[in-house]
Amino acid sequence: MKKITEFQIRISPDSVCSMLNADRSLLADEMREELEEMLSEAYERLEPAAYLGFGDTEGFLYGEDQLPGQEALYVICTVGERLSSWSSELFRQGDCVRAMLADAAADNCLFQLDGQLREQISALCREHGRGIRRRLEAPQDAPMRIQKKALDVTGAAQYGIGITEGFMYRPVKSVCQVYLLSENPEENNSEHDCSRCPNTSCRMRRSPGDVTEPSVTVITGEGQRTLPFVRGKIILEILRENGIYIAALCSGRGTCGKCRIRVTEGTLPVAAEDRLFFEEAELEAGFRLACTAFPEGACTVLIPDLAEEKEFYVPDIGGKETAADWPDRTQEGKGSEEAALKRDGRAAACEAAPGRGGGVNAGEYGIAVDIGTTTVAMQLIDLRSGKIMKAHTALNIQRMYGADVIGRIEAAVKGSAGELKECIRQVLQSGVDSLTEGGHVPVSRMVIGANTAMVHLLMGYPCESLGIFPFRTYNIQRIETAWDSLSGQKGLSFPVRICPGVSAYIGGDITSGLYALGFHERERVSVLIDLGTNGEMAVGNRERILAASAAAGPAFEGGNLACGTGSIPGAVCHAAWKDGTLCVETIGGEEPTGICGTGILEIIACLLEAELMDETGRLEEPYASEGFPVDEQGRIRVFQKDIREIQLAKAAVRAGLETLLDEYGTAIDEVDEIFLAGGFGYELDIGRAEAVGLLPAGCAGRVRAAGNTCLKGAAAGLLDGESGKTLDYIAGLVREIPLSGNPKFSELYMEYMCFGEEE
Amino acid sequence: MGLIEEISEFLQKGRSKKIKELVQKALDENMDPKVILNEGLLSGMMIVGAKFKNNEVFVPEVLVAARAMNAGLALLEPKLAEVGNEPVGRAVIGTVQGDLHDIGKNLVGMMFKGAGFEVCDMGVDVGADAFIDRAEELGADVIGMSALLSTTMPQMQECIQRLEERGLREKYIVMIGGAPVTEDFAKEIGADYYTPDAASAAETARNAVMERKSA
Ligand code: B12
Repeated sequence: MKKITEFQIRISPDSVCSMLNADRSLLADEMREELEEMLSEAYERLEPAAYLGFGDTEGFLYGEDQLPGQEALYVICTVGERLSSWSSELFRQGDCVRAMLADAAADNCLFQLDGQLREQISALCREHGRGIRRRLEAPQDAPMRIQKKALDVTGAAQYGIGITEGFMYRPVKSVCQVYLLSENPEENNSEHDCSRCPNTSCRMRRSPGDVTEPSVTVITGEGQRTLPFVRGKIILEILRENGIYIAALCSGRGTCGKCRIRVTEGTLPVAAEDRLFFEEAELEAGFRLACTAFPEGACTVLIPDLAEEKEFYVPDIGGKETAADWPDRTQEGKGSEEAALKRDGRAAACEAAPGRGGGVNAGEYGIAVDIGTTTVAMQLIDLRSGKIMKAHTALNIQRMYGADVIGRIEAAVKGSAGELKECIRQVLQSGVDSLTEGGHVPVSRMVIGANTAMVHLLMGYPCESLGIFPFRTYNIQRIETAWDSLSGQKGLSFPVRICPGVSAYIGGDITSGLYALGFHERERVSVLIDLGTNGEMAVGNRERILAASAAAGPAFEGGNLACGTGSIPGAVCHAAWKDGTLCVETIGGEEPTGICGTGILEIIACLLEAELMDETGRLEEPYASEGFPVDEQGRIRVFQKDIREIQLAKAAVRAGLETLLDEYGTAIDEVDEIFLAGGFGYELDIGRAEAVGLLPAGCAGRVRAAGNTCLKGAAAGLLDGESGKTLDYIAGLVREIPLSGNPKFSELYMEYMCFGEEE
Repeated sequence: MGLIEEISEFLQKGRSKKIKELVQKALDENMDPKVILNEGLLSGMMIVGAKFKNNEVFVPEVLVAARAMNAGLALLEPKLAEVGNEPVGRAVIGTVQGDLHDIGKNLVGMMFKGAGFEVCDMGVDVGADAFIDRAEELGADVIGMSALLSTTMPQMQECIQRLEERGLREKYIVMIGGAPVTEDFAKEIGADYYTPDAASAAETARNAVMERKSA
């Protein structure tokens, strides 16, 4: 027995209106408008649930289906009582228009539930080592009383599903399907075969030939593929299932507008969400969001080229310098001599040093990997010299399941874990291929640093407990495995080490970063801040380290900002007043195309300075309503909402930092060095960061842009024979300070929401 | 254009607000509520129904018109009661026991109203005796049953049987409908009328009642 309540339902106005034949009527637009007014209440009423259970079928099937011992998976789905009864309520009020719209909208939801369950049903059957022989629906494929059997088997009655004497469920917007299982796990006939149904005028009817026809043709930069079309499945799902990448930062909720596609043949109904992101002309040109596009028949869609995705920032990770150059370690303490050794590029000396570099074989190479939520960075390191021979960066294509780790965890829990694992394996595989020139360079080991969720997805660990309080991990220890078992491919193999983490939100990437920076050897307390989405930070020295994840969100990476962008050419990165006008600088000096994280911070500092924005972050009119123009034409603007985003992000970082310092019993003035990890740090004007309160006053001079510290740690780990132990030691040294529910943090969070100097 | 014609026009266009205004105005001008109803609202609704049958307009047009009619009726009903207006007939409708599909039945109720019936909608999952009891109470002319499942269709037969057992069969016009229901089934169980859609259901009911009353 299983209950599923997580669905992503987007009522399709086109489908709803066409159910009422509105597409043929002169009132089409009016109907659509009324429906759109109803949508928020519809979503509010929607309480989708599906109940699944395995059971026998003895005495419930018609002749030819009844094989001895035939088992079945019974499924009941419902949109819940409140949405079900809405139509009747409206009819009673005399509003038959809305009543019919409510009815059709509920049906639309119900069919989507059915569509979205399909994958989980297949997965569940596969788990049981079974395939699906046939899908039955009462009463044409089996007697109506099988609905009672389904109720018993799934236990749905205990969740309030009732049944009438006629074997009909209450709430009315509930349906039942029975999947007959087959011994062959490969078999998957989960589509309903309509050919047996007498209702030949049914709008939903499919002839058996239609089951794989029509098809969706997808054109990407790499060519063209024809994919089976499944009614009730959105384009995004079809793409995901077939491993075709498209960014879906909001996990397909229709809120980020990134999964743009263009339909070039056939039609895709325009969804309400499309109207939020596209102009009328664009809609006419066929632009749609993949996550709300329900194909209703054959169509051809164009996926924008990967290279066009200007969303992410791939920091330069060289290929020129020496890995041993990296660790930004201090000169003092135990770390110094080793750092000095490495800095000299005399990594060969490591071999001689007792207990260091013991396993390094001459002439061999290692691969350092940072699996980030957004990008994956890899380097081929010459294990003798410590030199970076080659670098490779790629997008983490798991982004088609969401931009942040939560989105990925949700997707994994909902049955896409296998696909997510496959995504990252693909990315790693092509990285290894490229670094080794197709296996020609001998590789003797790999070290991977990655956050906890990335490790879980890579290893195929269950993610259920990772996404919900108290955020339990399945395994946080160091992992020693081999490339062939990770890649699932025979042939090339070498040992792979995955850095140990601390908790669900302080992962191996942080351990690796702390290792790279030698925190475990430092006498004086230092700080590491990663200004990425998770906003991890650590404070400590060789005695103890405290860490926290402030969940800053993607605003510093340009995410969630109206004109936000990654650090790409054309991104506004600096701003200053000149003779009363705001002058901006862009990366590469190109025409401004958007605003990146440093840009928005500087603009905000300018606005504050000129008193165009008050300390609470409120913009003066007319900017509050129309946004503040950043470029000459006023195409790029900073809106009130953007400022709110930055306020939330910077308050989280700052409050997190202050909470950690406080817990540690130290103050920012006593801190030795402050490392900013990630690409952001390079461009950041520290004075400005202080002005807006992201960093405490007086940091300048001690702040270091540390780059990709996770990758640096992984590379250092390749060169250090003791790195396994050291990483474990560091992971043990770190204690996480939970910030959620932490009263100190909450108080500071509110306090730092405002701008300006508080002391 | 007279006020009444205007009401009929705007009803066909489905303009609820305008209908409310106009009906109120007509009442304020002391027009006969029966005239407002029959020559304004119902005549408008009839025209929409006819256009619908001829495929000149579609479901949405019928729906907006019916909504406008309901808006007008809400103002009109108290006055109609005052002047003792006799509706064309009274109908008790519902979805039979065991069945919850109600959209069809709701549309039938709507069209009945549009044809001048006083409608008592008993909702869904209605037992055979409940239909009869209510019909007796109201002095109804028509019992309309809807069933969408083959498993619940026998409930219609059950109701007719109960009418017979209670000696009331001749008193009522029994109509049945719903997707799996057929003309043959209606004959088989001894129902008076079956129609495949709501518009013809209302028309058939109106004719049948008038015929009876004039006989
Ligand atoms: C919409 C719908 C649903 C909705 C319910 C909507 C609701 N609130 O009523 C949902 C999706 C929830 C649903 C579910 C199910 N349904 Co269903 N459903 C339909 C569908 C597609 C349309 C019914 C409808 O609302 N039509 C629109 C209205 C306007 O049309 P109508 O009801 O037929 O009414 C018109 C006429 O019949 C006539 N009329 C109606 N009543 C009356 C009464 C009188 C007196 C007169 C004169 C005329 C008349 O006038 C109406 C207006 O023009 C039909 C298929 C079909 N094409 O009819 C299946 C259908 C009724 N469902 C069916 C079935 C089997 C089910 C399920 C059991 C499927 C399942 N395996 O889960 C479930 C049971 C649900 C439950 N809760 O247990 C079957 C019944 C088959 C049979 N032989 O019994 C049908 C026929 C589909 C099919 N061929 O399989 N269903």
